[in-house]
Amino acid sequence: MASASETMTAAGPQGAGMRERAWYPYLLIAPSMITLVVVSLAPFIYAIYLSFHEAKFGRVRDFVGFDNYMTLLTDERFWNSIGVATTFVFIAVPIEFMLGLIGALVLNQNVRGRSILIPLLFMPTMMAPIVVGLLWKIMLAGSWGFFSYNVLERFNILGETSIFASPDLALYALIFVDIWQWTPFMMLAFFAGLQALPLGPYRAAAVDGANPVQMFFHITLPMMTPLLAVIGLLRFIDAFKVFDTIYILTNGGPGISTETPSILANKMTFEFWNIGEASALAVLVWIAFFAFCSIFYQVAKKRLNAF
Amino acid sequence: MRKIWCFAAALAATTALTVPMVVSSAQPVLAQDAGFYAKAGAPYKGTTIRVLDEITPLQETLSKIVPDFEKETGIKVEWELLNHFEVINKGQADMLSGRGHYDAIMLHGAQLGPMLSAGVIMPLDKFVADPKLSDPGLNAADFIQAPYKTTAFSDGKQYGFINWNYNHVYWARADLLNNPEEKAAFKAKYGYELAPAKTIEQMRDIAEFFTRKKGSTLAGQPLTSDFYGIVLEGIKGGSTFSNLWVNFIENYGGDLLDKDGKPTFDSPQTVAALKMWRELWTFAPPGIAEYSLVDVPTVMGNGIAAQSLAWSDFVLGIDKPGVSPYAGKFVYAPIPAKAGNEAHRHADAEPSVTVISAASKNPEPTFLFLQWLADKKQQDKLIEIGQGGVPIRESSWAAPAITGSTNPTLFAAMKSSLDVATARPKMEKYPEMFDAMSGIAQQVGLGKMTPEQGAKEGQAILVKLCGGKSCTL
Amino acid sequence: MADAASRPEGSRGLFWTTLVIVYAAIMLFPIFWMASMMVKPNDAMFARPTQWLFVPTLDHFSYVIEQGFHWSLLTSFVLCTVSTALVVIIGTPAAYAFARFEMKGKDDLFLFILGSRMAPPVCLVIPFYLIYARVGLLDSFLGLTLAYMTFNLSFYVWVLRSFCRDLPVELEEAAALEGWSKVQIFRRVVFPLLRNGIVATSVLCFIFAWNEFLFAFMLGGKAVTTLPVSIPKLITSQGVRWGEMAVVGMTALIPVLAVVFVLQRHIVRGLTLGAVKG
Repeated sequence: MASASETMTAAGPQGAGMRERAWYPYLLIAPSMITLVVVSLAPFIYAIYLSFHEAKFGRVRDFVGFDNYMTLLTDERFWNSIGVATTFVFIAVPIEFMLGLIGALVLNQNVRGRSILIPLLFMPTMMAPIVVGLLWKIMLAGSWGFFSYNVLERFNILGETSIFASPDLALYALIFVDIWQWTPFMMLAFFAGLQALPLGPYRAAAVDGANPVQMFFHITLPMMTPLLAVIGLLRFIDAFKVFDTIYILTNGGPGISTETPSILANKMTFEFWNIGEASALAVLVWIAFFAFCSIFYQVAKKRLNAF
Repeated sequence: MRKIWCFAAALAATTALTVPMVVSSAQPVLAQDAGFYAKAGAPYKGTTIRVLDEITPLQETLSKIVPDFEKETGIKVEWELLNHFEVINKGQADMLSGRGHYDAIMLHGAQLGPMLSAGVIMPLDKFVADPKLSDPGLNAADFIQAPYKTTAFSDGKQYGFINWNYNHVYWARADLLNNPEEKAAFKAKYGYELAPAKTIEQMRDIAEFFTRKKGSTLAGQPLTSDFYGIVLEGIKGGSTFSNLWVNFIENYGGDLLDKDGKPTFDSPQTVAALKMWRELWTFAPPGIAEYSLVDVPTVMGNGIAAQSLAWSDFVLGIDKPGVSPYAGKFVYAPIPAKAGNEAHRHADAEPSVTVISAASKNPEPTFLFLQWLADKKQQDKLIEIGQGGVPIRESSWAAPAITGSTNPTLFAAMKSSLDVATARPKMEKYPEMFDAMSGIAQQVGLGKMTPEQGAKEGQAILVKLCGGKSCTL
Repeated sequence: MADAASRPEGSRGLFWTTLVIVYAAIMLFPIFWMASMMVKPNDAMFARPTQWLFVPTLDHFSYVIEQGFHWSLLTSFVLCTVSTALVVIIGTPAAYAFARFEMKGKDDLFLFILGSRMAPPVCLVIPFYLIYARVGLLDSFLGLTLAYMTFNLSFYVWVLRSFCRDLPVELEEAAALEGWSKVQIFRRVVFPLLRNGIVATSVLCFIFAWNEFLFAFMLGGKAVTTLPVSIPKLITSQGVRWGEMAVVGMTALIPVLAVVFVLQRHIVRGLTLGAVKG
């Protein structure tokens, strides 16, 4: 941050006709940067400050150094939550990705009535996550849920238990809900990508006698890669943070089998009021994400020409 | 028609006459000083106070009375109602951050421990001692004493009056319990009459008896879907654990903490109670581990279970024509005791109190308002308009809306619960404790953990949380 | 149909169309079910066995209006519009600058922008609450507008930058040679070319803001209640008011659906997030 604003040596304009004063780009980014420093950096620095204090009950007491971090890192529950979120992300996102890609390819065929179908298909993504949670509660809740009653109970699939009451199944149900909610987003973004592809290479390939599978792997996929990377990263970040639907559907239960870091942080914050530890959790998650994303960014930028 | 009216009037008149007499034995009758609040409120005329409470049928009724306070005193009350979880989140956030947006906030008994240890509740003693603010006609002796004393006071200081005597009752389907065929079959199987359960063992028998598969008959009718003998709260959080703790473990003679506040969860009594808990879950709907305190009454109202232990104020919202098709077909009873331990009855209750935030800028008018709410006049009105309710005053049991209620067993059950109700021990770490313990209640209930393991693990968690010291303040 | 049949791929088109419709029908069934709950009487709501046919009722709508939920709708609408508009105004020049100009530490600055989107909102909400409580921004319009920028501004700049990078620089150069001012170039050359991107990205921002729950819940209050935050008020002691919940949930969907329906051309072009070189 600081190094950027120090010296503004001639940042050369790209084109010959665009002779700029060096401060011009900084002027353009200034409002955004100032806003983000206020709304994003300031709360985050405050969170870092809190994470080094015993901030029980929202009242900051003593400086405790790395105590909160140590407590957290030695807490099985924290590692459990990381495990839960990792499982969640690494099952949900690839499935959404595949389904989205397949859906986009289908949608890219000679489908009629797209202008009606597209907004309809997009509906799950447009719904508020809290409503999505309630919707699936109506579907899957034990004994009174529509699906539980008409399918699971009728054919006695789960016997004496229900989906969200089963420590083994609850997480997969949540993954399913996430897939339901976000596949349309993937599908639409990929479809948009397919629509934007130039026709030239396909014509050339057709002349060479390439079949559709070859065309997909040699033309479509390479050209789509940057988009796939960007969307994948975006979903990855958001899936790791998912909160509303889990909060409504299981709130981390049964036991701690669906407790993600967000749910745990919510408990630490609003039930236990252990703000110091919750902030430490936030900082750790943030650092992990940031490290992951900067690596991803560097790689994607060089190899895929994404971003 | 007129005859009935005359009768009602006569009944009301006699009750009105007898109530003061009952009370008078405790304290000399003071003429209700109608002008007290007008006079006491005069210096604060025009002030606005903000009060946060939760939505239940009780508060919805109270909303109709609150505007009277402004008429009487000129103090404006911004009365905000949010749901149970929101009140806890937002209320505590407001107090703990020292924001002081709300002058008064309703706290469930269990929240008092953490809030008191954070020092964010204003003690009321200096107001109570102030003749300008303290209503001489309040008659605190009339409050139902056990919940009042254990909730409003801590460490010799007073923090509130008493606002809501939330309590658990036993809730069953009268139409099933009174069905002649079922009665005969039950007697043949268990050797005693089918009736609302008096003991936990009877509750278990009834639960087992009525758990039936789709296609079998229930009270002469073929079942189109499975029917269950009991429904209990089983969600992670909520009041799942307090139900297990008070209605089961305490009735079995076990407890969470001993007299010194140290964990004593691994007793044989706890193990026995957990065994019963596990067994009852096998007679409950498959969704039990998802049921919150809101879902349990809904399940009862939808008629898919024969009995329940539930919060009585929620019953008021469900057992109403137009809300549940089974309205009027329910029967209520005291929380079943452990056979052989009837003398030491326990019933889950969460007496709750509206407290003044330490950050309040208007504590005096707020104090007046809280006192006014607990006043007999308002309480009588509350019971009258609500056609019942959950009394906080002994004298309310004699109110015509309760004595003449179409639902007499509910109030008898409530009274029995309130007779033994106490507030939760004031524990600083109650949220952590309840979160962990409700997880154990779920695991044991689902059969994923044995009762012995549950007791052992629960004890270990409590010891760890309290750090070997007393868990209470 | 006649037109479709005359072409060789016509029957194929019918196949794909049917496939998509079947897929949509299955996926959208839960939403349809919820929509039917809007007019379902309470005693039929979760009746066993499931009731498919019922006499519709408008009770849920009247309750929702009685309780003033339309004010939440209005609040949500104004709040999200203002916040999204601000994001567009502030974010567009930044995205343009990041794409066009060399700046010292550009990568670091850009990673900082990305980073703003990474922290779980649950963890940011307490610092926000404590800061807002001190400066008096709780339960205020301005407070929530600002808070929404945490996740939306960074998202907007990040995505729009890709679009800007794809703009042919020659046009701007030509315009500069003509002696146009920077503002003119931006308005007449850059902006029209960016329109799809701006529309698509800002619609996404609008949806994120529209659906956001946690910030709106903790930082809002009696004065500023958004639609998602009003939903838990339907969890009452008479049980959950599912019918009313369906009404509010579906109402929340309608404006977004309408926006997507009207602007779908831009959105489909814009959802490439500028990452496909067309």
